Amino acid sequence: MLFTRRLMLGLAMAGTMAGALAVPALAEGPTEIDLFFPVPVDGKLARDMGTLIKEFNETHPAIKATAVYTGSYDDTLIKTRASIKAGKPPSAVIMSANFLLDMQIENELTNLDGLIAADGTTKEKFLGQFFPALQGNAVIDRSVYGVPFHNSTPLLYINADKAKEAGLDPSKPPQTWAELTDWAKKLTKREGDKVTQWGIAIPCAYDYCGWMMETLTMTNGGRYYNEEFGGEVYYDTPSMLGALTWWNDLVTKHKVHPPGATPGPAVSTSFISGNAAMMMLSTGSLTYVRDNAKFNYKVAFIPRNVRNAVPIGGASLIIPAGLEADKQKAAWTLIKWMTSPEKSAWWSRATGYFAPNMAAYKTPDMVDFLNKNPDAKTAVEQLDVAKPWFATYKTVPVRKNLEDEVMLVLNGKKQPKEALVAAQKAADETLKPYNAETSLKLP
Amino acid sequence: MRSISRRDEMSLAEPAALPVAASAAPRLHVLKRFSDRFKASLPAYLLLLPSLVFLALFTYGAIGRVFIDALYQRATPKAPVRFVGLDNISAVLADPAFTGAVVNNLVYAVGTAIPSIGLALLFALALSRTNAVSSALRAALFLPVLIPMVAASALFLFIFLPNVGLLDHYIGRLLPVLPNWLGDSDIALYAIMVITVWKNAGYYMLFFLAGLQAVPEDVMEAAHLDGAGPFMRFRHIILPELKPTFLFVIVIATLNAVTQVDHVFVMTKGGPSNSTNLVLFYIYQQAVEHYDIGKASAATLLTLAALMGLTALSFRTMANREGGP
Repeated sequence: MLFTRRLMLGLAMAGTMAGALAVPALAEGPTEIDLFFPVPVDGKLARDMGTLIKEFNETHPAIKATAVYTGSYDDTLIKTRASIKAGKPPSAVIMSANFLLDMQIENELTNLDGLIAADGTTKEKFLGQFFPALQGNAVIDRSVYGVPFHNSTPLLYINADKAKEAGLDPSKPPQTWAELTDWAKKLTKREGDKVTQWGIAIPCAYDYCGWMMETLTMTNGGRYYNEEFGGEVYYDTPSMLGALTWWNDLVTKHKVHPPGATPGPAVSTSFISGNAAMMMLSTGSLTYVRDNAKFNYKVAFIPRNVRNAVPIGGASLIIPAGLEADKQKAAWTLIKWMTSPEKSAWWSRATGYFAPNMAAYKTPDMVDFLNKNPDAKTAVEQLDVAKPWFATYKTVPVRKNLEDEVMLVLNGKKQPKEALVAAQKAADETLKPYNAETSLKLP
Repeated sequence: MRSISRRDEMSLAEPAALPVAASAAPRLHVLKRFSDRFKASLPAYLLLLPSLVFLALFTYGAIGRVFIDALYQRATPKAPVRFVGLDNISAVLADPAFTGAVVNNLVYAVGTAIPSIGLALLFALALSRTNAVSSALRAALFLPVLIPMVAASALFLFIFLPNVGLLDHYIGRLLPVLPNWLGDSDIALYAIMVITVWKNAGYYMLFFLAGLQAVPEDVMEAAHLDGAGPFMRFRHIILPELKPTFLFVIVIATLNAVTQVDHVFVMTKGGPSNSTNLVLFYIYQQAVEHYDIGKASAATLLTLAALMGLTALSFRTMANREGGP
């Protein structure tokens, strides 16, 4: 070990010296920063990101930003953490909005309050640009840690042609679970025991499954987690039990939803190919559906059982901790540019995510776009009833504690009640170390 | 006992091989002998140095680090890491996700090794004679090896799509209910296994083709003249001759079963409900999802121990074979 450490030291020194030699040559050059970005939904986000960063570099000669594709939301968290551990954090990351709390607990985020104050503005004014529903995932302990970049809510997508075929009026989409169940039954086609067209499909793979459970639980009047404190989730509750039981009923009782766990891309492919007549999916997939559906489609609010409510999804821009001041400043410039009304609006049109910056919807291009594509309006309207995305200590494992059990239910291996009891027990175990340090650390 | 007698035999048979030992002075200063030997081998060490540096940096250093990390854990998020001894190992062993992954991995190892080795042997036997057709077929069977596992998994993701995928498109008509290949916890592991067999059979075929070249032609001819049919020749000549190849391929297949999890990563992430979680993916989850380096290192050590045991066992078997009469 000693041998290795010496070698490392030697190499590190050699590296530093090489760096020191190189610095004077670069001193006049632009500040180089990396932006990690995920592609969590269907479509051509990577190409759009290239376009965006190219424009930034052209208009900001003092900064040279490079966009680095880092996979899914979960992969992006992993790669960001690996880079931080290796001592080479990226300058900015488009981070899944519900990972911010976990990262803040692990001291991996730069508190943005200082940068906001240095601009001569206040937190309230800065946050005031964004839809109020998005602030819950960006502010931790009254400090700003993230800037909303692209956000989404779950939507109900309806194949309007198939609805008409089944004698349903697509201009009056289902508003309650009862109506949705009824629609799904009418839209399911069978040949004997075999289903040739499913009434509805709801995605369930790691990540998506937790989000859909939060959606269904919220429309059933419940909450997924404690919004004020990262050490509690509410899995074993009547509202979640009702949500999971209904989902399970769609599969096993009504047989209008494909069995098993189906990931998001499989659900959207199924919808596009006409195999599923309705689906619940992120607004982030809207552009993909618009570009690929060869039929008339309609989007609507997620139907309610108790109340209309949905979680937000999407990502915020963050600056990892431990960055040099010049890179931090350059990253802040990039972040402000990317979340400005014009760029926000452009990105929203390119991807289907809604623009978090409210002023984006007042730009002439956006007004035009919404007039042409009224479906994009639904997502924005649903924001009135949107609430934060679940975020806890160790968000991913805590979410997986629930998802594994939900998958068992959808595969017919467990009943909803016993699954949720097991999920709650597992999640409480995962959250235990954090509670030991916070809520259960008594004087 | 055996080794001594073997060495005697060797020195008797090839006395010229040990001239230095025979002519060396009986009493030499130990230190001098050592320095002489060191001087003699110095160029060799110098030549090895670049590799040793990189091995130390990227292999031994990392292994050492895993040993150390496995002994430390932090009690709460903000607490510093502290020495916990074997607690991490017992925590891993008590984790149902780990034991589940071990069981999955055993099923996966047996379920991929046997069919892929069987297919590989079949292909090799069928294509052992070289001509234009068999060369083309060999190339076709070898093709999956050339496709990176990640790319192959992405392809199979589409093939396995429920209802609309290629697989359901063709065999869907024959089945009463369309299965959710990757979304059903009873089927997903087998779907993953199919890909592994598809990918590896062509690779193992190469070893068997090489092994078949070593089957002595004269013995085969003699057997033919003695009236041994194809099955008799296969059973009593080809199979015994291929024994070393079998051993080697079995070791490779088992190692692959533990070290290749790209398709799990791309296709299922261990799901649904951990039904396709393999040991290496479990380690990955502990390290990056749970952010628990201690437990990940402990699981790595356990896996390493199992693999080392397996390798030692197979080497001993091979050594016994070679040392035997």
